[in-house]
Amino acid sequence: MTDLLTLTDLVVDIPHRRGTLRAIDGVSLSIARGEVLGLVGESGAGKSMIGNAVIGLLARPAHVAGGEIWLGDRRIDRLAPHQMRQLRGRRIGMIFQDPQTSLNPLMRIGDQLVETIRLHRPMPAASARTEAIRLLDEVGIPAPEERMAYWPHQFSGGQRQRIVIALALAGEPELIIADEPTTALDVSVQAQIIRLLKRLCADRGVAVMLITHDMGVIAETADRVCVLYAGRVAETGPVTEVLSRPRHPYTVGLMDAIPSLDPARGEPGVATLRQIPGAMPSIAARPSGCAFHPRCASATPDCARVRPDPRPAGRSEVACPVCAPTHEDAAS
Amino acid sequence: MKHSTPTTTVAPVLSVEGLSRDFNIPVPFLRRLVPGRPRPVFRAVTDVSFEIPRGQTYALVGESGSGKSTIARMVVGLTRPTAGVVRIAGHDLFAPDARDTRQAMRRRIQMVFQDPQASLNPRWRVEAIVGEPIRAFGLASGRALAARVAGHLETVGLSAADARKYPHEFSGGQRQRIAIARALASEPEFIVCDEPTSALDVSVQAQVLNLLRTLQSDLGLTYLFISHDLAVVRHMAQRVGVLQRGILVEEADTKTFFAGPKAEYSQMLLSAVPKIRKGTDE
Ligand SMILES: Nc1ncnc2c1ncn2[C@@H]1O[C@H](COP(=O)(O)OP(=O)(O)OP(=O)(O)O)[C@@H](O)[C@H]1O
Ligand SMILES: Nc1ncnc2c1ncn2[C@@H]1O[C@H](COP(=O)(O)OP(=O)(O)OP(=O)(O)O)[C@@H](O)[C@H]1O
Ligand SMILES: [Mg+2]
Ligand SMILES: [Mg+2]
Repeated sequence: MTDLLTLTDLVVDIPHRRGTLRAIDGVSLSIARGEVLGLVGESGAGKSMIGNAVIGLLARPAHVAGGEIWLGDRRIDRLAPHQMRQLRGRRIGMIFQDPQTSLNPLMRIGDQLVETIRLHRPMPAASARTEAIRLLDEVGIPAPEERMAYWPHQFSGGQRQRIVIALALAGEPELIIADEPTTALDVSVQAQIIRLLKRLCADRGVAVMLITHDMGVIAETADRVCVLYAGRVAETGPVTEVLSRPRHPYTVGLMDAIPSLDPARGEPGVATLRQIPGAMPSIAARPSGCAFHPRCASATPDCARVRPDPRPAGRSEVACPVCAPTHEDAAS
Repeated sequence: MKHSTPTTTVAPVLSVEGLSRDFNIPVPFLRRLVPGRPRPVFRAVTDVSFEIPRGQTYALVGESGSGKSTIARMVVGLTRPTAGVVRIAGHDLFAPDARDTRQAMRRRIQMVFQDPQASLNPRWRVEAIVGEPIRAFGLASGRALAARVAGHLETVGLSAADARKYPHEFSGGQRQRIAIARALASEPEFIVCDEPTSALDVSVQAQVLNLLRTLQSDLGLTYLFISHDLAVVRHMAQRVGVLQRGILVEEADTKTFFAGPKAEYSQMLLSAVPKIRKGTDE
């Protein structure tokens, strides 16, 4: 498989009243054609920032201050705004975390879809309409033909989210950046969207960056996972490996905080969910060394001094010298 | 707290009876010109009844578009029912002379919206967003107000310094927490939570859910809890109602429900939950 998207040492800075905040601090990752990469991490880790950096839509004053972004053999972090606009929608489809961002409240959704389809794929209006209905059907909107005449506010939260997905697919992009695409969806619709994304990967070799905090969705959808903490990669590897044998203490904590349907994990409505102690530091006050060390039970004095880089551990790469020492750990 | 009627002590915090809501269906322009046809309507909620006793959590689950948010909006008085009655602590929220009731209820009922953007004014600093209910209901002012805002922000895992920032300076999950802090600010007795944690990662979700539970046991809060995440529902609620196309198809205690849901739709919901195989068992 060839890599479609490659980030090397990406740095995103936010100039501020006093000094500069470093939101993304040297992130490298890649996604192959036909592959789903799950990007996980706590709120504020920088997941949306990475997605927005790739499509050139960082909200000012945030900007790419270092590193490179490649789409296939084209470097795209230095493109002029009009060149970036051509990529967006056509080669890169974006599903934003907040559906409101992509929907025009003053336009019927059928018109929005038809317009987007024809912008990227010139075709007669009637064919675009048929295509729009097909897309609505594909994302599970009931009675799609009638719903073409609806305004955005007339849909439920989850339906709006799916319309945004349909819009992102309208230009048949090669890379889809999906920022929390299924958060507002119930499990049956969620499963349908997951199947749809997987089919696009398998049939058309689409690459997907799936940004989510839902480990269940990651488990069902992603081929590889990248766990982000405070603007850096904590752990990355094949999904089976990372979920079944999380190594970085942060990944372990994330897995433990998941509420479960398993009766063995406490009485319904009684047990307290396990939390990772403390909170993700704000970007203005990131600890020295490994940013996770103040919350980490296995931290050593070194952790406050040395900033770890990801190193191979089993089939993963882990940025923790304590949990993933340089020698291969074969046993558990 | 002063109550005008003696019924409040015994009445459930929320009771809805025969609730229905119709929406006008948009029709393409040409078809609208056909004379003599009544405007078509879509019934989003059909004859729904349930109650929530004080200090309890009732979860509404159901697929996307089944009418959960529509019920939530009727319960807090934002959308008028086509038929049926909403009673808050025994008061009919939509009675013809109920303007004063709705006013009086505003502080006691709060809603955390599915879309946090909707409740955050982008031009206000966080201190104004969270402080507004405190000021509006005269709960505190000046230094005490700032201290309360800081306290609420810390409760939801943000920091006091965040009060000076604007909503766009936060991530999606952080904005959701600002919305929750705002809902807590007027010290309500009844909170309608529409997907309150769906934008949150598991660690913050655990923090917020545990917080909601603590508040409930300390202050006797009552929740109507809407979520598509059954694991979260199992963790939070004493009672579950399953909604399918606007109809309440099943209602049961949480334990009974998760032990063996009766409605076919509920069984489907349960079986569709994505599973994580963990190597490390607990
Ligand atoms: N304009 C800004 N000024 C200061 N800080 C900012 C600004 N924009 C974003 N941030 C901070 O950058 C960090 C990364 O934000 P980002 O939106 O990427 O988080 P995320 O990982 O997507 O989180 P979530 O899961 O909550 O959506 C957050 O801590 C956020 O508060
Ligand atoms: N203003 C409106 N006009 C027409 N139809 C509407 C309107 N508001 C909601 N509906 C329809 O009513 C149904 C129920 O919507 P509601 O928002 O209550 O669903 P929900 O259960 O909250 O779904 P979700 O989980 O996706 O948020 C949907 O089919 C929606 O399209
Ligand atoms: Mg985000
Ligand atoms: Mg809803």
